[in-house]
Amino acid sequence: MIPEIGEAGQEKLKKAKVLVAGAGGLGSPICIYLAAAGVGTIRLVDQDTVDLSNLNRQVLHGQGDIQRPKVQSARDRLTSLNDTVTIEIHQQTISEESIDGLVESCDAIVDALDNISTRYMLNKAAITHQLPFFHGAVRGFEGRAMTIIPGRTPCLRCMYHGDVPKEKFPVIGVAPAVIGSIQSTEVIKYLIGTGDLLTDRMLIYDGMSMEFKEFKVSKNPQCDHCGEKMEK
Amino acid sequence: MAIHINLHKTHRQYTEGKESVDVAGRTVGECLKDLIRQYPPLEKEVFGKNGKLSGIVEVYLNGATAYPDELAKPVKDGDTIQLVYFLAGG
Repeated sequence: MIPEIGEAGQEKLKKAKVLVAGAGGLGSPICIYLAAAGVGTIRLVDQDTVDLSNLNRQVLHGQGDIQRPKVQSARDRLTSLNDTVTIEIHQQTISEESIDGLVESCDAIVDALDNISTRYMLNKAAITHQLPFFHGAVRGFEGRAMTIIPGRTPCLRCMYHGDVPKEKFPVIGVAPAVIGSIQSTEVIKYLIGTGDLLTDRMLIYDGMSMEFKEFKVSKNPQCDHCGEKMEK
Repeated sequence: MAIHINLHKTHRQYTEGKESVDVAGRTVGECLKDLIRQYPPLEKEVFGKNGKLSGIVEVYLNGATAYPDELAKPVKDGDTIQLVYFLAGG
């Protein structure tokens, strides 16, 4: 037994329900390590089906899963890894209409998305429902991660200063493996209540130079999600 | 003495591969203008059409976020501005 976890910590993991938004590059390591750690319920949301081009990084899925819904493929993989974990699957888009239902009764929200607009939707839902939000994003050999505790720490939207154009992000599989593992570590620590969280700082990873950099992040008083411009 | 701007790898194609460029200015905005004076093709990467900072570029001053009004933040000799490229893939 890991002393930082102990039996009490393992019980906390078992009782937890975590929303993972996305069953792709980030969602794969996140789900695998949360299931392996014994997180009781993983609620997984993804609208897509598995494509051959996904397989360089989306290790929840294999060649035999091509054209299957990702959430079904993921459920099979995770259940084979740990059949004591409940995998709730939702093959749907995350929208303003669906978000409240998706986060209901969850203890944490994990960002495994591939676009910024839905990330902001999750960020806002996390603040509205006062749930911890574990951000991660990747591109190429790079990635970033930050943990957000609503009411206490800066949120993802604090950093917003203009729209980001939609584009495809080429990714080598090891980048989401690194970032997703960091996100999973944060979720596990949060659920158990141990360690220092990656709050108030953005961790930026560059696989090409093999460097991690940390930048201090402050609450933005003008943030329209958690600051004085908050939309009620 | 000067202010140092550390560039993201995406931007280094416009600076002959330089990872860091020394600039002069009293604010973050003036420093970025001086960067663009030295390397004009960076303008479309750093600024949007309206002269505001591009939505896909983040500015950190001495290792910390500089918002709100990043461009108006005062700087002094020896300071470091880091330009970080926004990531959104998953």
